[in-house]
Amino acid sequence: MKIVVAEDEFLIADLLVVSLEDAGHEVHDAAHGVDALKLIRSLAPDLVITDFMMPLMTGLELAETMKADSVLQGIPIILVSGAQGAIARSRTDLFDLVFDKPYAMDRLLTAVADLGGKRGQP
Amino acid sequence: MGCYQHPWPHGHFVLMRLFVTQTLPRFSTGIPGLDTVFGGGFVEGASYIVQGQPGAGKTILGNQIAFATAAAGKKVLYVTLLAETHDRLFQSLSTLSFFEKDRLGSNIVYVSVFQTLAKEGLGAVVDLLRKETKRQGASLIVFDGLLNARDRAETDLDVKTFVAEVQSQAAFVGCTVLFLTSAGVHDDSPEHTMVDGVLELHDELVGVRTVRRLRARKSRGSAALGGYHQYEISNEGISVFPRIEAALHTPSAIDKPDPKPLRSGIEGFDEITGGGLPQGSITLLIGPSGCGKTSFGLNFLSASSREEPGLHFGFYESPERLLLKASALGLDLKGNVESEEVEILWQPLTENLIDKMAYRLLDAVSARGVKRLFIDSLGGFERAAVHPPRLVEFFAALTNELRAMGVTAVGTWELRDLFASGVAAPGPEISSLLDNLIMMRQVEIRSEYKRVLSVLKIRDQSFQAAPQEVYIDGHGLAIRGQFEQATGISTGLAKPLEA
Repeated sequence: MKIVVAEDEFLIADLLVVSLEDAGHEVHDAAHGVDALKLIRSLAPDLVITDFMMPLMTGLELAETMKADSVLQGIPIILVSGAQGAIARSRTDLFDLVFDKPYAMDRLLTAVADLGGKRGQP
Repeated sequence: MGCYQHPWPHGHFVLMRLFVTQTLPRFSTGIPGLDTVFGGGFVEGASYIVQGQPGAGKTILGNQIAFATAAAGKKVLYVTLLAETHDRLFQSLSTLSFFEKDRLGSNIVYVSVFQTLAKEGLGAVVDLLRKETKRQGASLIVFDGLLNARDRAETDLDVKTFVAEVQSQAAFVGCTVLFLTSAGVHDDSPEHTMVDGVLELHDELVGVRTVRRLRARKSRGSAALGGYHQYEISNEGISVFPRIEAALHTPSAIDKPDPKPLRSGIEGFDEITGGGLPQGSITLLIGPSGCGKTSFGLNFLSASSREEPGLHFGFYESPERLLLKASALGLDLKGNVESEEVEILWQPLTENLIDKMAYRLLDAVSARGVKRLFIDSLGGFERAAVHPPRLVEFFAALTNELRAMGVTAVGTWELRDLFASGVAAPGPEISSLLDNLIMMRQVEIRSEYKRVLSVLKIRDQSFQAAPQEVYIDGHGLAIRGQFEQATGISTGLAKPLEA
């Protein structure tokens, strides 16, 4: 799958990118929501994994922007959040899945694989 | 009701003197005592560097101020340049009482600019901060990790430009900036010259104990309390205890001496001192262990009433043991405590912060309008002094404040030798800060041990200077006349005068 990761924290972003690449995915990362949106528009990924609290554009704002965009609204979004899990869970219209930090990478990878399976992608 | 953790009246006094024409708008840091050190809080729209070694508490300080600012209804942008994840930061902060998880993402936003710095440099970080400050409507930016910014800078000039740009764009929108750094920021560092204030946090070993001290090294636009001030980190976060000789440079109230003496509560004592102890005076009671100093104090406190509340501030006996002791003396101290005429504050003689204890004492006096205070002993403060030469100024500030509050205080001082040819009082500078001096001791005479009390000095009252015999016989401590004619009484080894 082609995945865009939006995460401002370097350690988390790095681990996420490496793990997803090891699982065979094509991964592009951005350090905040604005850059992520640019990547999403140009790459049309199969999945977006985003943090909540980020500079310039939060994960919530990113998801709202995507869902309001007829081209992007079909792309599934996974939110990975430290403190805003509850806010995100109340927005089932925006997020397909919500993970609270710290999370087990295996669970995330499984969830990514499941989403890929549903969409018929490797 | 005053609170000495925040001696505001004095802080304002200092400000008014310096800024007759204008005072700068300030905001409270929310850290007890820190506003006092900075002459009333941080200046709005100003920038500060907070420096200290790892473990000194910079991140706790930054977050505590952030949460206090958020609690005041303002928005805070917490920017990190650290490798540590925010999640780990939240985990460690969650043990502190000021941390409110619900504020994350709403009033306080944590963002990392590590990747922006690594990929695009300091200029991009400045740009991002400007946009984000505006977007969030932030009143405060905490920038955690200026050291890392320096690592990435090609020259010192880059960091200077960075600090200058961040602070000027923040000041433009009235936003205050804190730069937290573990780097040594020297007086001639370019960033030091840029910012409005520099706060240094120190964590040092003195002997076997850790001493945390902070210092406002630069404070533009406000009169800071200079020098070191001790602070502690507890579950409530950081508390600062400004040195009282600096914070209470002059007493917070005007001293109104009352010439009427206060009855001592000791049988026979008022008769030899012209009616008791002068009101609003400080008495030093010196003597070796076992001579009856604590009993004197318990008698003094048992004369407390609702109009004259008493306070026992002791380092030795626990409240339970004190009540037992009073009961053995024939004093109903328990009744005094139950009717709230007397409060017992126990300050175990373990590892203590001297100014914290002084504020605890002053707060307790202020809270109940205490008129009778017994401190057992002043040596407890001395033990906690990290820098003993300041004790004279410390006791001067403490006793001036107590006098101005109309407190009649009795403090004990332990003499080392039970029997000795010389009598060593505390240093002459400390003794001269006190109004009254009373000596008690055991005296050996005719193969017997007796207790003796001598009044050496009473402020503005005539008194009998002759040594008095002390009786402890079921009605508290009593004086029933002069000690027999003898020589050497003050040394404890007396010889009867032969007729």
